[in-house]
Amino acid sequence: MRSAIEVAGLSKTFSIGRRSRRRSVEAVQDISFSVEPGERLAYIGPNGAGKSTSIKMLTGVLQPSAGRATVLGFVPWEQRRQLVRQIGTLFGQRSQLWFELTPRQSYRMLGAVFGVEPAEVARRCAELAELLDAVDLFDVPVRSLSLGQRMRCELAACMLHEPAMLFLDEPTIGLDLLGKQRFRDLLVRLNEERETTIFLTSHDVADIEHVAQRVMVINHGTLISDSEVSALRRTLLATKLIEVVLEQPAPPAALTSLTGVTVRLQSDTVVKVEVDTSRRSVRDVLDELLATFAVADLSVVDPPLEQVIAQIYTAPRPAAP
Amino acid sequence: MNARLLIITAATSARRALAERGGLVVSAGFYAAVIAVLGSLWRAAANAHGGHLAGYTGTQLTWYIAATEAATVSLNLRLIEDIGDDIASGTIVVELLRPASVLAVRLAAEIGRALPRLALCLVTAAAVDGAITRSLPGPGVAAAAVVALLLAMLCNLAAQHAFASAAFWVRDARSTWFLYQKLVFVVGGMLLPLEVLPGPLEHIAKLLPFMAMAYAPGRLASGHVEPVLLLVQLLWVAGLLGVAAACFTAGERRLQVVGG
Repeated sequence: MRSAIEVAGLSKTFSIGRRSRRRSVEAVQDISFSVEPGERLAYIGPNGAGKSTSIKMLTGVLQPSAGRATVLGFVPWEQRRQLVRQIGTLFGQRSQLWFELTPRQSYRMLGAVFGVEPAEVARRCAELAELLDAVDLFDVPVRSLSLGQRMRCELAACMLHEPAMLFLDEPTIGLDLLGKQRFRDLLVRLNEERETTIFLTSHDVADIEHVAQRVMVINHGTLISDSEVSALRRTLLATKLIEVVLEQPAPPAALTSLTGVTVRLQSDTVVKVEVDTSRRSVRDVLDELLATFAVADLSVVDPPLEQVIAQIYTAPRPAAP
Repeated sequence: MNARLLIITAATSARRALAERGGLVVSAGFYAAVIAVLGSLWRAAANAHGGHLAGYTGTQLTWYIAATEAATVSLNLRLIEDIGDDIASGTIVVELLRPASVLAVRLAAEIGRALPRLALCLVTAAAVDGAITRSLPGPGVAAAAVVALLLAMLCNLAAQHAFASAAFWVRDARSTWFLYQKLVFVVGGMLLPLEVLPGPLEHIAKLLPFMAMAYAPGRLASGHVEPVLLLVQLLWVAGLLGVAAACFTAGERRLQVVGG
């Protein structure tokens, strides 16, 4: 089966500044990866890491300085018009809908843009309203919708031409907690029911945890990690968190005497310790805890993904060859 | 380019303009005040010159102003600024990710948005100038004026897109809006018939595209039977659309190579 995205040695260099102070900035340097149809992928990195430049190249808005890429079989910067019929794009801070009109009125226009017949637009609207739980929203002026409701309508707008792939750039930005949760569930549902490939960028770690199966990290224009979300935690962190509920409060000195362990929280009978697995195994620490204290309950968890990502972002920039 | 897409875009945009009822009322009120004041001024000037000024009667000047103002205020007055902002802020990327010409869709949307305003201006002009002059243009004059108004708007929109495309190359293209507006006001004949300008300037102004944006519909609305003006407008429409298309194509290419 053909890959949804194939990228090889993709680079983009910008010239910035005026004449005498002109200098080159390598926004993206020699990245290579492939994405299979139906994958849910998060493409993350700190501000200025090269995410948007990559997405612009993959959607054909920007031409690379070097390298090759195909998206759904098209070379994006050479076949943009053909490619955009097959992909949907959603930028969290840019709207496709006209505020004075209802979403349905904008959809009719977007349908014409993508060459979808009016009757077909109506049919797809009905389907999407059902799928996105937006039956009551399509006939309300956009300016009267809440941000969460509007984002559901934006998602419908970019699904109207039934794209095989969605590029989502910060889709949950500005949404409240429930709005974010609902939006993430919708993305997963879209992917599962329609096998739509999802290429997501977000600064919100929860988006990555709940939506993505695979995460690629870009920093300083270079792809520095590409793995399953769960594997990312395992490979990058040499720590585990053990949360212990004691039957009675323990003296602080008893906890600090444990080797290879850092106490992260101690309040009454609840204790959270971080184990450096390069110094000591989790099993060892568990044995010692059970032998030393009267334990009512305990759990071992991976540290939050946020911590993993922060660790990657703060890694020193690789030296230039 | 798909005609259905352009028609649907214009119709959707017209609906959008109709939904902005407050904006429509304000612009109609502004238009009524401007044509009443400027019309009175020009009539007074004509009367002071024995009833004629540069070949126009007071009544003709009233209808001239009604047409030139309608051709201008029906459009988004800050369009150059808006397009420049969309290019500079990267909003235009959303439009680049559609399988349609950015320029054609934008032009269709602006025409659709202008049509309800133009219709309102025409009704307002008939009411205000009709009451002042106690006459209305004949059907032939009115029909020619309406066609000239539509061509004037198309000329103006194409030129504004060409001017605004400077934002693809320079970060702040707002200054071009100020310059452009003043050119339409004076050498386009929006505030005064070009015949009022001193000899050489009148001839130069009639050779510039701005005359097609205000003077031509004004001249026809004031009862001058000069169908050649429609032909001149058509030529300018074709030329300016070509320039705007070339500017946008080059700008999009630059964006693709250099980035936003």
